[in-house]
Amino acid sequence: MATPVRPGRPPQIRIRRQLPLSPWLFAAPGLLVVGAFVLYPFVSTLVNSFTDRRTLLPGHFVGLANFRELLHDDMFWTGLRNSTLYILGVVPALVVLPLLLALLVRKDIPGITFFRSAFYTPVVASIVVVGLIWVWLLDERGLVNSLLESIGIGRIGFLSDQWLLLLSAMAVTVWKGLGYYMIIYLAALANVPRELHEAAAVDGAGPVRRFLSVTVPAVRSTMVLVAALSSVNAFKVFSEVYLMAGPTGGPAGEDTTLVMLVQRTGTGLTGRVGYASALSVVVFVVTVALMLLVLRADRREDA
Amino acid sequence: MPMSRRALAAAVVALVLPLSACGSGGDDGGSTDASGKVEGDITFQTWNLRANFKSYFDGLVADFEKKYPGTHVKWIDQPAEGYADKLSADAAAGTLPDVVNVSPDLVAPLAKAGLALDLDKSAGKYRSEYLDGAWAGHQVPGMSGTYAFPWYLNTGPLFYDKALFDKAGLDAAKPPKTYDELFADALQMARKSDGKVATLANVPTIEDFGRYGVTLMNKQGTAFAFNDAKGVELLTRYKELYDAKALDPQALTATPESSGRKFLTGAVAMNPGSALDLDNFKKNAPSLYKNIGITDQITSTGHVNMYVMGVMVNSRTKHTPAAVAFAHFVTDAQNQMSFAKKVAIFPSTAGSLDDPYFTEQDGTDETRVRVAAAKSLKSAVNYTPVLFSEQMKTALRNEVAKALQGKESPKKALDNAVGAADRLLQQD
Amino acid sequence: MSVLEKVRPEPPVTGQREPRVTDENGRRVRVGELVWRYLLLLAVLALTVGPFLWQLSTSLKGPTEDIYSSPPSFLPARPTLHNYTRVADTIPVWDYGLNSLKVATASVVTNCVGSALAGYALARLRFRGRRATTLVFVLAMLVPVEGIVIAQFTTMRELGLNNTLVGVVLPGAVGAMNVLLMRGAFRSLPYEIEEAAYVDGATVWQRFLRIALPSVKGTLAVVAIFAFMGAWDDFLWPLIVLSDPSKFTLTIGLNYLHGTFANDERLVAAGTVIAVAPLIALFACLQRYFFRGVGEGAVKG
Repeated sequence: MATPVRPGRPPQIRIRRQLPLSPWLFAAPGLLVVGAFVLYPFVSTLVNSFTDRRTLLPGHFVGLANFRELLHDDMFWTGLRNSTLYILGVVPALVVLPLLLALLVRKDIPGITFFRSAFYTPVVASIVVVGLIWVWLLDERGLVNSLLESIGIGRIGFLSDQWLLLLSAMAVTVWKGLGYYMIIYLAALANVPRELHEAAAVDGAGPVRRFLSVTVPAVRSTMVLVAALSSVNAFKVFSEVYLMAGPTGGPAGEDTTLVMLVQRTGTGLTGRVGYASALSVVVFVVTVALMLLVLRADRREDA
Repeated sequence: MPMSRRALAAAVVALVLPLSACGSGGDDGGSTDASGKVEGDITFQTWNLRANFKSYFDGLVADFEKKYPGTHVKWIDQPAEGYADKLSADAAAGTLPDVVNVSPDLVAPLAKAGLALDLDKSAGKYRSEYLDGAWAGHQVPGMSGTYAFPWYLNTGPLFYDKALFDKAGLDAAKPPKTYDELFADALQMARKSDGKVATLANVPTIEDFGRYGVTLMNKQGTAFAFNDAKGVELLTRYKELYDAKALDPQALTATPESSGRKFLTGAVAMNPGSALDLDNFKKNAPSLYKNIGITDQITSTGHVNMYVMGVMVNSRTKHTPAAVAFAHFVTDAQNQMSFAKKVAIFPSTAGSLDDPYFTEQDGTDETRVRVAAAKSLKSAVNYTPVLFSEQMKTALRNEVAKALQGKESPKKALDNAVGAADRLLQQD
Repeated sequence: MSVLEKVRPEPPVTGQREPRVTDENGRRVRVGELVWRYLLLLAVLALTVGPFLWQLSTSLKGPTEDIYSSPPSFLPARPTLHNYTRVADTIPVWDYGLNSLKVATASVVTNCVGSALAGYALARLRFRGRRATTLVFVLAMLVPVEGIVIAQFTTMRELGLNNTLVGVVLPGAVGAMNVLLMRGAFRSLPYEIEEAAYVDGATVWQRFLRIALPSVKGTLAVVAIFAFMGAWDDFLWPLIVLSDPSKFTLTIGLNYLHGTFANDERLVAAGTVIAVAPLIALFACLQRYFFRGVGEGAVKG
């Protein structure tokens, strides 16, 4: 019992005064809900991915036919490209910008709690509302274009060009995520020993040097975590693009993401449940792989 | 109580098995015989009608319950968005309401899954009450039978902005009547306004191809055919418009709402609509309303396009006589007529369109639009093929966009669209 | 007000005219730095809150006011609540709001209870299968929801819970993400406190309820906010599971607006304001606990 314990790790002793069942009782409500309403439907999705099931018609086992069809489906590759681009566009911004924002709101100057809360507002608002707001802002006759025109730049078709649409959707994702990740960084920064900064300041390091040589290494594992969370979410992006580019995914469907494709092929009365399930499985496998990749990177940091 | 891997596997199998058994088209419950006593509780589902017509439907239900004591109708209404998702979830889970508001393309998959009652068998005696074309509207190629009562029809004129026509040096009193005139006027409008004012705001849809005179499907209804020379011609002309900005540059991402808004704000010179829109113009764009021009839909076939709504009876209903009676009640001449007077739609019952309400002018724009539409409806066609699913619409839309952007030739784009649609058709 | 709390009492007069503003370590912040900090804060504020204010402004503009003008007019010329009245005339906003409130409140309760219990088990109790159980929750977090909605509905139908508010709550009743948040919070508590209680003979339940739970109140607030937001904002699932209009939630109701009045930006704006305002109010009330929860490392996984 005298063994010193690190916080957050179970001690070396076994706590015996607990019924063998009680851990399961504790976990039961959560396991039941997650099992019945997430994992069970997902397992059935997995089963369906090997069938040609339609919304209203029972399927037959077709082996890997759905997965083979994927390889020849242009839309699948478009979706994969867009979801991957989404990671590349969104993740760096969401790793860096919220960190800078956290540094900005960190100091307890008057009114700072107001600013912190205000910066969190976009996280609180529903994505449907956020979508409506931004579609209205970026409309050809919306606020942003009115402003651009009055300063002489002219109107820009944010919502009609394939690439601008994707960029706009990314901007909305970043806008909505800033506050969320800012909070994560704030928590991490609270653990950075003040002395490190002071020592660096005494050494005559400027703010940029201090940021790079003190702050960044100190919150490195948080950055990895943010990268993991944001890349998984970016790969599964649906709402932002769906709301801004429309259900068919922008001009010629060029802005379709993978999850949008799942939704489009699998839903409705004529939905191809089997094929959409195969797509879901691909999305799932890639997200798990992404998560593992980042977690491995994290483990290496820890060591 | 650690769970062994084998126990887990067994649990998974136990969970999955019942699932793969469900969703089959077994014929449990419900009968096709509608001749019994009209009684019992039924549910009636409409599509986005509550917001504006609550009192009408409340009255309708009360009248029916009064006429048939012992019945109780529960009216539910679903929002416009997600209607097909809602229907498919209900259909898959066996919770479809007894009487459902559908359109022909929604009824087709339900009929194929055995969920829609064949009205030729159960309600054939009512057939003569409806316009022939409307009754046939809910037949599904490849199946015998009719799967919904025809309900309201809708068609509308083409609105145009006289001020924009004047500005472009076009004669506002002589709007385009043919496709040739339309395309010529549109090009002139774009030229004179330096590409700032487009004439059309939407890419061609399957209905546009139909109206242009393109054959949409082969005679047997087994394959699509809109990639013929006529189809390619239409798409090629649209491409010219798009390049000249006579078709709005944002048309590729337009929705009916966004193009309606563009017309309101004077960015687009013409917009298809219905008598319903006049009210909207009056309220939201008074200056446009002063300059509104109204002309007929352009068509090369002599038949304008109409939209058909239907009322379907769930084949699994426990109260077939009541469900059929109610579906017929909602769509009978009297009730359709009173609904038509509430909102700018048109009844599908025989003879109703000869009512003075649809034939006599009283000098207002509303009446003018209504009378003209009623007249054109007598020969109107629902160009949307019943089997043209949401996924096929998306495929066509995307291929059309590629052609307009110049990424593919119009011929290649339509070939691809037809190919994709045929593949989806064969999987049904 | 927190603004006042942070201003330290004036030091005894020593003739110095430095500003009295200090940072978290009690050191003074220089005026120059302060100015650019506030400038930056205001710039970010405009970016994050501005869009909401623009929406509010649009919703207050009367039918005769041009909402497309360039340069834009930021303030309504004659503010009116007319659009809000029209929203309330079109849909029973209050009934739908009440349904949303019921669903969201229930979701907060089930999520707080369920994820605290499961999180505690995963963080503190030792049992065979703990790693596997943790993995179950991690995997559940990664499942793309859009692909499984119909299967979820079929399950709900088999349970006879379709078209009930319970059915709306259940799939999100215990979020996997929330369980992992609570696990993280419990893990970061020092073990010694509980050990003492253990030596005193406290049962698992007592240790959980009296010692562990009170120390993670902040994280619980985070979970509560996430649960409320999730339930309040959800659209697709309530749409699928509910048939009866009297049971609709606010997001479905607002969708009627979009379908019926898509051309009227003012009305859609009023609808979005109605949807967002309760969330912002709730967050404003709970933000103190929320930020404390964050300090406990709630979001560190």
